Amino acid sequence: MAANAVARGTGPSATRAGRVADGPQPGTPEWLPAEGAHVVLDSVGKTFRRAGRRTVAVSGASLQVGAGEFVCLLGPSGCGKSTLLRIIAGALECDEGSVTVGGRPVAGPAPDRGMLFQTPMLFPWLTTRKNVLFGPKAQRAAGTDERDDPELDAEADAILATVGLSGFSDAFPHELSGGMQHRAAFARAMVTRPSVLLMDEPFGALDAITRTRLHEFLLRMWERYRITILFVTHDLEEAVMLGDRVAVMGGRPPGIREVIDVPLRRPRQVADADTEEFLAVKRRVRAALSAPSVQRSE
Amino acid sequence: MADWRFAPPGATGVLDGQAGPDAGTSDEMAERAELLAHRWAVRRDRARRLAIGAAGLIGLLAAWQVAAVILGDEVALPSVSQTVAQFVHYLGRPYPAQGKPLWFDLYISLRRILIGFVAGVTIGVAAGAAMSASRVIRHLIDPVIEVIRPLPPLAFIPLFIVWLGIGELPKEVLIIVGVIPVMAITTVAALDEVPEDLRLCARTLGATSRYALLHVQIRSALPGILTGMRICMAGAWSSIVAVELLAATSGLGFLIMQAGDYLNTALVFAGIITIALAGLILDAGLRGLLTLADPSRRR
Repeated sequence: MAANAVARGTGPSATRAGRVADGPQPGTPEWLPAEGAHVVLDSVGKTFRRAGRRTVAVSGASLQVGAGEFVCLLGPSGCGKSTLLRIIAGALECDEGSVTVGGRPVAGPAPDRGMLFQTPMLFPWLTTRKNVLFGPKAQRAAGTDERDDPELDAEADAILATVGLSGFSDAFPHELSGGMQHRAAFARAMVTRPSVLLMDEPFGALDAITRTRLHEFLLRMWERYRITILFVTHDLEEAVMLGDRVAVMGGRPPGIREVIDVPLRRPRQVADADTEEFLAVKRRVRAALSAPSVQRSE
Repeated sequence: MADWRFAPPGATGVLDGQAGPDAGTSDEMAERAELLAHRWAVRRDRARRLAIGAAGLIGLLAAWQVAAVILGDEVALPSVSQTVAQFVHYLGRPYPAQGKPLWFDLYISLRRILIGFVAGVTIGVAAGAAMSASRVIRHLIDPVIEVIRPLPPLAFIPLFIVWLGIGELPKEVLIIVGVIPVMAITTVAALDEVPEDLRLCARTLGATSRYALLHVQIRSALPGILTGMRICMAGAWSSIVAVELLAATSGLGFLIMQAGDYLNTALVFAGIITIALAGLILDAGLRGLLTLADPSRRR
């Protein structure tokens, strides 16, 4: 983890100062830093058995993700990165190894691990506001959230302002642009206050311009909240742009082959992609991706 | 769990000062205006479409009236005004050949349809849900439906008369038999179409498995189920009129048959138009529910 702190370039205090500078207006409460949770994967393996055929989806995957760290899982299709993310989400059970989040073993899906998907997965029959409040209301039905409607409404107003969708709280998902839908989905995931955000190729289906804007958006949000993010992608540049570290996946059986530090400055700008340092990291990650041990995955 | 707060309303977003339409407060205002303009355009398009549709119907009525006047044969083609006159006359007065007023026949037909429709939809949706939930039940019921579905329900009429007599029951069962396979198939399709990840998404937001099933999976399938109901409603009308033509002593189908036998063509037309209007109103009700269930159809 020490190496990781160096990799971030700026220490926590420096980021916090930066945050205050461009943060809330005077008179509004100071942002409390988010406590991300540690995620520990210990030789995780998963084999699917279907119609008598065994497919090893992921094998011997070990990774330690620090609290508040941004780690990208990069690899070609079928390298087990989505399977790994779903195991952490609790949607799949691993048959080997163990996963702990914040020191507790994962048992089924729970709101401490928010998830964002390839498509925004907004509920098409709900307005933006009601989409955002789906989690709190579901938790109220389950007895795990006791806030009343005015409190929830204030919460929805606040998070919609934060993601820049104040004017769209009464709009339905089909009335939002692609980028807005992703921001609404982000707000919906964040409102339940997860300590880990799991992102499964969330911007894969977007055009390059919208994707760049959402990169910027995600970086600003993460710098503000500092929750742990695990970000699955098959886009090399995206992985380097966003992550503190990039875990390169692939091979046969599929697993984590190499974990590469991204020693670029924080807070990071999209324009940093044009720097020499960025290219150097990209080159290293590409070399890791084309290593024989990764390539064999096809 | 992490402990942090979101900015209160009025606080600016983190994207302030950045370029691009996806960022910043002033752009947000422009986007809001765009949304309102879009909604206004959708409403205007709908008004225009309704106006054109109404013009088409009025044109049809005008063509009918002109043709009837030129032809001058009340039995072959009564005019619009003669049809309306017959409709008004017999709406509250019994037709001598049958002994019941038009509103009563309408009530009888509607009752048969609604009883059969509600029962058929209930059974069909339950069957579809069971098929979607269990592979064994699906493989068990699927071939049965595949065999029954292509059969026109009318083929069962003699059978139902033999089994159930000539009372109300065979008519209601006929509609039920027509509705069940269609509802089962559309329900299975609608439930299958809900992405697995949508339920997972609800679970990661803190929903219990039960809550996710009710508020996400079933809710998500609702538009598909309502679309199936619209298809069934149209089928129910053709079944009920056919069975009333063949084996009934009341109902709009029977009235049309009687009026035809006595060469009162204007009353035949009046009966047909009553069926068309009743069907239109029931479908409009279902379409209204569909619009409520699926906001993207509000156009």
